[in-house]
Amino acid sequence: MSGILIDPGKCIACRACEVACEREHGRSFITVFEFETSAVPLNCRHCERAPCVEACPTGALFRDGDGAVLVDVKKCIGCNMCVLACPFGIPEIAGKIMVKCDLCPDRRAEGKLPLCVQTCPTGALTYEEPSEFSMSRRKAYAERLALRRAENAPGL
Amino acid sequence: MKVPVVCPYCGVGCRLYIERTPSGYRLEYADDIPGIPNENGRLCPKGNAVLDLLSKDRLRKPLKAKEEGKFVEVSWGEAIKEVAERLREIAKDDPRQLMFFGSAKTFNEPNYLIQKLARMLGTNNIDHCARLCHSSTVAGLKAVFGAGAMTNTYRDIEMADVIMIWGHNYAETHPVGFRYVIKAKERGAKVIVVDPRFTRTAWFSDLFLQLYPGTDIALANGIMHVIIKHGLYDREFVEKRTVGFSELKRTVEKYTPERVEEITGVPAELIEEAAVTFARAENAVITWAMGLTQSVHGYDNVRAVATLIAITGHIGRPGNGASPMRGQNNVQGACDLGVLPNVFPGYQAVTDPEKRRFFEEFWGAELSGEVGLTTIEATHEAEKGRVKAYYIMGENPAISEANSKRAIRALRKLEFLVVQDIFPTETARLADIVLPATSMLENEGSLTNTERRVQWSFKALNPPGEARPDWWIVSEIGKAIGFTGSGARGFNYRSPEEILREINACTPQYRGITPERLKENLAGIHWPCPSEDHPGTPLLYTERFLTPDGKAHLASVEHSGPAEIPDKDYPLILTTMRYVGHFHTLTMTGRSELLRKRWREPFLEVHPDDAERFKLKDGEWAVVETRRGRYPVRAKVTKAVKRGVVAIPWHWGANVLTNDAIDPVSKIPDTKACACRVRPVSEAEARKLLDELREMGVVA
Repeated sequence: MSGILIDPGKCIACRACEVACEREHGRSFITVFEFETSAVPLNCRHCERAPCVEACPTGALFRDGDGAVLVDVKKCIGCNMCVLACPFGIPEIAGKIMVKCDLCPDRRAEGKLPLCVQTCPTGALTYEEPSEFSMSRRKAYAERLALRRAENAPGL
Repeated sequence: MKVPVVCPYCGVGCRLYIERTPSGYRLEYADDIPGIPNENGRLCPKGNAVLDLLSKDRLRKPLKAKEEGKFVEVSWGEAIKEVAERLREIAKDDPRQLMFFGSAKTFNEPNYLIQKLARMLGTNNIDHCARLCHSSTVAGLKAVFGAGAMTNTYRDIEMADVIMIWGHNYAETHPVGFRYVIKAKERGAKVIVVDPRFTRTAWFSDLFLQLYPGTDIALANGIMHVIIKHGLYDREFVEKRTVGFSELKRTVEKYTPERVEEITGVPAELIEEAAVTFARAENAVITWAMGLTQSVHGYDNVRAVATLIAITGHIGRPGNGASPMRGQNNVQGACDLGVLPNVFPGYQAVTDPEKRRFFEEFWGAELSGEVGLTTIEATHEAEKGRVKAYYIMGENPAISEANSKRAIRALRKLEFLVVQDIFPTETARLADIVLPATSMLENEGSLTNTERRVQWSFKALNPPGEARPDWWIVSEIGKAIGFTGSGARGFNYRSPEEILREINACTPQYRGITPERLKENLAGIHWPCPSEDHPGTPLLYTERFLTPDGKAHLASVEHSGPAEIPDKDYPLILTTMRYVGHFHTLTMTGRSELLRKRWREPFLEVHPDDAERFKLKDGEWAVVETRRGRYPVRAKVTKAVKRGVVAIPWHWGANVLTNDAIDPVSKIPDTKACACRVRPVSEAEARKLLDELREMGVVA
């Protein structure tokens, strides 16, 4: 399934993703952490084998047709099990229930990208299959290598 | 219905849609418009927060002051009558007592009108905020290449093999434009960053030249020294398309990398490497912004950098060029349309009798051939009582002017101050009449981005209360003053389209940029566009430069320090900067909860060694003092700044500290380097000081 993939090497810490997400959802489900020489945006990974889903005692966490992990607000009891289980520290309890990134289902239904991905000025966030992502990275690296060889090639 | 608009913030000129929904308005990304500057409709945080411009404290009715800061509501008729009468009276006495400010935050059409109004009243005292940002670029590039605009497009940045980013925190000030740098880098391009601070732009650098503020000429000369010594300049280009090379060679001869290292603090081997990398590149661009321009020798700084571009032949071809980055979405347009004291629309000199005769005939009025006042000069003249009235459209000099306390003193001294704006600004508090204008989303017209791309923005929202479009306000005032002639000879306009057609008729670069064409083509048209069937000109100088002889005039400039250098009393150099989530004097972004909560307050960046020396602690309060004022701010201890340098974002009012010494040619103030000292203070003392400054109206 497609997911939001993060390339911290392109993040400029502008936090456009946070602002866009908060505008849409009332709070931001993506957080940009800034360091002295780089920045890392982080949001729900919608894991293939999601510990939050496995830990949920009431079955409040489920997957939609695209594979996004969502919360059924009627079933959530705010027990914090998902918070403890998530290796990325993503789920938060807001009021009495858990909230987190839902991959913008309304936009996906219209064939659009999740908001944070759509707005990211530098392309640090992409929405694609991890296999597409790794292939395009592999290709970009190969191209750079080839370019260097071409530059040093005599007679070209 | 989705209405296509242009983002009201920076000079990238991003497109977005505003859509009406049952519950109000929402923003939608313009990912379906091909060829726009923000490909796929991407937006930065400010762009994402544009709908917050609809906040509750917008100006809704014309106001008249009973005393300073105390206003009563008046009708439009009454407000316009009073403004017209007062302007007419003062002009009758001596039109040079009037000063007009256009605005890089409004469309081309009202900017054209306000300079027409000033000039028909008999004065060239008209200027706008470009004076404080890129006036040195305009003057410096004109001297070397013949015109003051960006020579290429964002696409050319993407195509470059080496991108030199000079005095410009590109990633933070123009995040969407920075996309093109990242794309180039992905392709293998090298990035050279020249900055006193290790900015987020510098994160992406292959070479980082951390110079002391105000030493740019020495560095540029050092780089050219290396290029010339190793014979890396473009001999053919220098010979065929430039003049002044032998003098340049003599001048830069003494700028050896070792000597330049002493002046700038940049290691000699880095200077060598940067020079070789830049000169050897097949395609290279230089982009710059305030770090280069805001200096007492901003004009020379720009000429030196332009000369570096010219001797390496990195201009006039795709993937090459000089790219000054504009801060506001219509700086380029306001300059193009003559909101400058020395030129009519289309950069036609007011001192040229032939051009003046054309406009006298066109507007049907006698025009002054005397170059008018720039903003800082007008402030100084107002202080002396020689300028008596200001008409300010969408500017906030109380915060934006260097040495802002002095600016406020001058504003208080005026006999008559009109402020036309969308929010009650610090400057509006001092006004006699406040005119409520519409924001860019509530109005339509054309505007010109950094790449000289003219785009049409459509009306997406209804204005609050009785707020009116800028073009309407200026034309009503023009008519009330008595300029009621027909066509171009008066101010009888019914729409911005009509005004743009008048612009087409008198501005050579805009001749073919008609409202009809712009509305059809949402990606816009690059000027010069000399006729209606011309596609526009994305790339300048492919054949010849715009100088009279068609050649680039290489400049030989000597290094001299900033206007103020550190001494015993003021041992540090202060420089100013910006935050990605804020815009200029906060009048717009300061009202957005989304932005304010993320960029809550300013920080003083200070090197760990200096923090220890002056006993500052991370996160604790400090007071920064210069010869102009004091400013309390929390300290942020970071190696991002060099030892001996401190930096503050200027949005909140740090201009109480900055130096208003100006560049003799471009009249830009030296806001990027002045001497200062710092000391720790208690929170209580800091708050008290802030309250005092707020009372004075110099901090937001």
